[in-house]
Amino acid sequence: MNNGAKIVTIPQTATIEEIRDEIRDVKTFYMSLDNKELDKNFKIKSGQFIMCTIFGAGEFAVSLPPSPENDRFHLTVRKVGSVTNALHELKTGDKVGIRGPFGNGFPFEEIKGKNIIYVAGGIGLIPLRSSIVHVLQHKKEFGRVLVLHGARTPDDLMYKENLKEWQSFPGFETYITVDVGTPGWTGEVGFVHTLFDKANLPVENTVAFVCGPPVMFNTVIGELIKRGLRDDCIISTLERHMKCGVGKCQHCAIGRTLVCTDGPVYTYRQIKTLGEQI
Amino acid sequence: MKQQPGVCTFCGTGCGHFMKVTGTAVERVFPSQNHPVSRGRLCVRGWNIHELLNTAQTINRPLIKKNGQFAEATYDEAIALLVDTLKALPTAAIGFLASPRSTNEEQFLLMKLARAVFKTNNISLASDAGHRGCLNVLSAGTGMAGMTGSLEEICKAEFLLVAGSDITKQNPIVGSEIHQAAQTGAKIVTIDSRRTQIAKLSNSFLQITPGALKLAVAGIAKCVVQDGLVDSDFVRTSTRGFEEFSSSLTQLPAQEITAKTGISSEEFKQVAHALARAKTAMAFFSSGISGLDEDTISYIFNLFAMTGNIGKEGCGVNPITGINNLQGGYDMGCAPDLLSGFQSLSDQAAVKKFNAAWGVELNITPGISVSELLAESAGQLKALVVIDHDEGLVRDVAALQKVDFVVYISTYKNKYMDYAHLVLPVARYIAEDGTFTNTDRRVQLSAKKLEPQNNVLPGWKLYARIADKAGSKWSYAGPADVMDEIARLTPTYAKLSHKKLAATFGGVQWPCDEKNPDGTRRLDIKAAGSSISFAKVTGTFTVPAAGKDFPYLLMIGKAQDFWHQNNLMRKTFIPMREYNATLLDYPGGYVEIAPDTAKALQVRNQWQVKVVSPYGEMLLAVKISDEVKPHAAYVPYFARDIIAKALTGHPEILKQGEDATIPIRIEKV
Amino acid sequence: MYLIKKTDILQIAKALSTEYQVYGPVIEPGSGQTFFEKVDDVSEINLSAPIPAAPPKHIVFPQADRILSYRYAGGNAPVEMKPDFKETPKALFGLRSCDLTGLQCLDRFFLGQEFVDEVYRSLRKKMFIVTNTCVTPFKYCFCVCTDSGPAAEEGYDLNLTDIGDNFLIEAGSAKGKALCEKLQLATAANKDLAEKNRLVDKSITLFESFSTESKAWVSRVMNRITTGFAKEEVWEYVGDQCFECGACSFVCPSCSCFNVVDTATGDCSCDRLRTWDSCSYEGYSRMAGGHNPRKPVEDRRNKRFFCKLSYSQSKKYLRPGCVGCGRCNWVCPGDIGMPNVVKYIRRETTSRDQL
Repeated sequence: MNNGAKIVTIPQTATIEEIRDEIRDVKTFYMSLDNKELDKNFKIKSGQFIMCTIFGAGEFAVSLPPSPENDRFHLTVRKVGSVTNALHELKTGDKVGIRGPFGNGFPFEEIKGKNIIYVAGGIGLIPLRSSIVHVLQHKKEFGRVLVLHGARTPDDLMYKENLKEWQSFPGFETYITVDVGTPGWTGEVGFVHTLFDKANLPVENTVAFVCGPPVMFNTVIGELIKRGLRDDCIISTLERHMKCGVGKCQHCAIGRTLVCTDGPVYTYRQIKTLGEQI
Repeated sequence: MKQQPGVCTFCGTGCGHFMKVTGTAVERVFPSQNHPVSRGRLCVRGWNIHELLNTAQTINRPLIKKNGQFAEATYDEAIALLVDTLKALPTAAIGFLASPRSTNEEQFLLMKLARAVFKTNNISLASDAGHRGCLNVLSAGTGMAGMTGSLEEICKAEFLLVAGSDITKQNPIVGSEIHQAAQTGAKIVTIDSRRTQIAKLSNSFLQITPGALKLAVAGIAKCVVQDGLVDSDFVRTSTRGFEEFSSSLTQLPAQEITAKTGISSEEFKQVAHALARAKTAMAFFSSGISGLDEDTISYIFNLFAMTGNIGKEGCGVNPITGINNLQGGYDMGCAPDLLSGFQSLSDQAAVKKFNAAWGVELNITPGISVSELLAESAGQLKALVVIDHDEGLVRDVAALQKVDFVVYISTYKNKYMDYAHLVLPVARYIAEDGTFTNTDRRVQLSAKKLEPQNNVLPGWKLYARIADKAGSKWSYAGPADVMDEIARLTPTYAKLSHKKLAATFGGVQWPCDEKNPDGTRRLDIKAAGSSISFAKVTGTFTVPAAGKDFPYLLMIGKAQDFWHQNNLMRKTFIPMREYNATLLDYPGGYVEIAPDTAKALQVRNQWQVKVVSPYGEMLLAVKISDEVKPHAAYVPYFARDIIAKALTGHPEILKQGEDATIPIRIEKV
Repeated sequence: MYLIKKTDILQIAKALSTEYQVYGPVIEPGSGQTFFEKVDDVSEINLSAPIPAAPPKHIVFPQADRILSYRYAGGNAPVEMKPDFKETPKALFGLRSCDLTGLQCLDRFFLGQEFVDEVYRSLRKKMFIVTNTCVTPFKYCFCVCTDSGPAAEEGYDLNLTDIGDNFLIEAGSAKGKALCEKLQLATAANKDLAEKNRLVDKSITLFESFSTESKAWVSRVMNRITTGFAKEEVWEYVGDQCFECGACSFVCPSCSCFNVVDTATGDCSCDRLRTWDSCSYEGYSRMAGGHNPRKPVEDRRNKRFFCKLSYSQSKKYLRPGCVGCGRCNWVCPGDIGMPNVVKYIRRETTSRDQL
């Protein structure tokens, strides 16, 4: 339960302070709310999202990659439609609108003491980053922590600096693979679930976070179940077309649930009973 | 009363609705529950018409191109430029392209402007290959240049034939009416190459080889004759010319019909018998920018004539116009050889009437249509005035760019403006009184609901000012006066007036004259004491055949996603989202192929393929659909310019309209 | 309980008009269509008009509503934001019980759940509700199948019933009672209430013969749907008939899905609009990038009816979402309104006749 400020209906403006190119079509925007009081009190949970307004273009839902603690506020966005294209045209000093933070967020207190597996396919690493960094900040309170990241090609690997950092962090087991290698790539080649054996995945007292494109999702979950993980110990974050973020416009409905208020984080057990395809 | 009755102006169905207007915006739209045609229904376009009417993407000022850039001008400056330029040219070098979206009053005045003021008969709609052909057949066969049946009587038809039209997407409420008739026992037969929604809702779907529609209709007709199912009483008492048609049918070899259409003789028999059994039957086909050719329509007409299904209640041969006032456009004489009411320029009495009313001496030599003027290479056309057209319909961009002076007149911004030297805005249709004539000859009044914004002129006023500048003073106080003049000069509109239309909920169907003061629901040969002439048919069928080098047949046709190039849809939110989804997934257009075809070619959705025909080639993305028969492929309307580029030099293929079928092969890229 | 002469009934509306903007049923003369409209003169109100063609939800949930306007100069310049929440006292005079039930569904949805919707709350505040018992059903009605009529039971300030020469007036709130006292209305007797009950019972029996267009065994089907016994092929049969027009959502008193768009009003200014949307549309669930989890039309039909009959029970409204008004029946081009779909599910209809 976060007791911080929540911006519900009217967006608050934030100014872009720095823009970093990540992979093709993906940029990271560092920003802070213009209202300094609000900025201080803006507390997020990993796995939450905000509704971001690009003035003149529209509003879109975007996951929050920063850790809730001691991490510069940023958004990492791929340009894929008219609004995100407009975002990519902005420069430092330009303003965007923020509403949020919304959503239930990833478990944190509840999973202390357990082994944590993060399986991130492509830009699925963006929402998982928030949890990974937060857990890293409290590593002693968790068991084994594994980060498995797969992307199409080496150029598509996300957050390369963070990955390097995690690879050298004691107690963090980081594995990286690509679907297709390029000349000079000496790392693993193969879909992300092919790392499972090498990584010697824990099964007892373990929670797995999975995020990635739909086609990867099913395969990975299948492999985890095969290895003995329970369906309520597999956690994912779902994405849907959203217009309000507060459970009113209903575009994000999957069966009985509204992804923006009941989710976006669900266990696989819950996903199976939603009543509609994800 | 805050809710004001009105007419939807997207397609030719002419659904009724209510609008609530506040200030300069349309607050909301709601269906008209008791409207005779729409009866409480609207489609995705009609429900969201307020989004279009509220758009900021309107042309707000006259624009004159100077050094390649548009500069704002006053109406006076713009009109002076238009008049001076046109007056300086020989009349044969001027063309007027009328819009199927304008009101009747606007179309009539445009026609008057062309003929009486600028002395040219080069005025046309862009539908010579479509609706005009249909009207020719109907006029020759019944004396009435319009749908013979009525949309209100669809519920009375026991048998409904839908020929090659994706009707639930093009004119959804007409499709709905057909579907609902079936819910109460009527039988629907669809003949099409693609499994459209109406095909799924039919009791019998004849999925023909592309290009074989005419042959399929002939096949049914042949069966009717052979099995003795002709309504001989009706043929004898109410028709002429049956023998010639009948003998042309006997000359058709039956096995060839099955081989070329892909329909078994058993299926033909079933349909023929069902048609004959039905006491009432209607035929529907799309009629618009393109449509079925005259020969195909003649076969449909004759089939229904010989089974006694024209000129009676619950019966009819019913072209369905795709755009709201296409029928009205022809009614108003926007054709090189016609005056209003389908009166020919060669009709001396009619010409005399117009000359007297207008105080002119009309030139009675028929003009040339704008599409022909643009297509001919001598470059005769020097000035072209275009009213509200969708840019994607421009087939001869190169020719258009050679015209010295292009004027574009419309309400909404459009890429057509890129080709114009002068742009003149006209007000939204709800900013002035005006009438529209839908596909079942229904003239409906749309009353003014708000003031024009930005001092933009309503169309009729603009034309009057142009005429005035050119030396002809017109003295209309408003659109009602224009309709009065239309009524005086147009026998089928003789008893119409804005007053009458305002007092008649649901509009009045023409002919509305001395004999039919309340209008004419449908052709009634008994009451009219008239008879039907069988149409002349050629008896030739060119069904393009796939061969070894070109094993697939490519159809070019309509799709929901590319409804008239989406020009109006792009200015809305919901319809744009709905219509754009496929455009966003396939920005360069697509070629639809059957799953088996995709497997054989080893291609998947979105993959690029090269489509090669005997005439040219083009690159398109694959879209797998099980609505398409194996050995057939389908390219939507939208990709016409891609097709046009690939097929430059073969306009006769494009002229085939909806049935255009080209043998192709598909190559993986 | 109070009594007022039938000829004097609009006096109550007149009294309300001093404090509230009055809305009531009005028949449009040219077409005969009933609208629930804002009236400047209460004499326009016709209490014997059938249920209005458009549900009164547009009063609290407009078809197109500006909720915010902003100006942005770009760069460092601050962005001016102006919320546009409209608040006017409104009196709904002559609301039918099905539409009141719809309003209650919207209340529970917009004002309950995790967040209170400020836009809705502003439009909904300060409302005086006068319901009108249906002593006769109308052509498409089936509220008896959805526990939403023909007489309102709670949620109103005043409930009117035409009992012959008089209207029986039941006060359902302190506000309602205060108005009746202020107008010094005569007190009703037990026999008046008995007459109302008699008329309501009679109305219920009339459904069978009167509302010939809708026979909906809604509760049975609700069960079937919730327990998963509606065949896939039935949804395909229904899906084939969907014209994807959105009408069912637009005329449904409890449907509230909306779209949000920012539309330019100038070079640097935009209006944020909230507009009606429908899950019938393919684009409704389409995500940027192309993935569409609910693309086939039969999936969308399935979703609508689950949402209306099943999901609504759990959290949204705590009752079926359908209020039995029958509007989706006449507004649907494909003839798949609630009653027909219920019929197809019960009968497991999956195909149509051949020639």
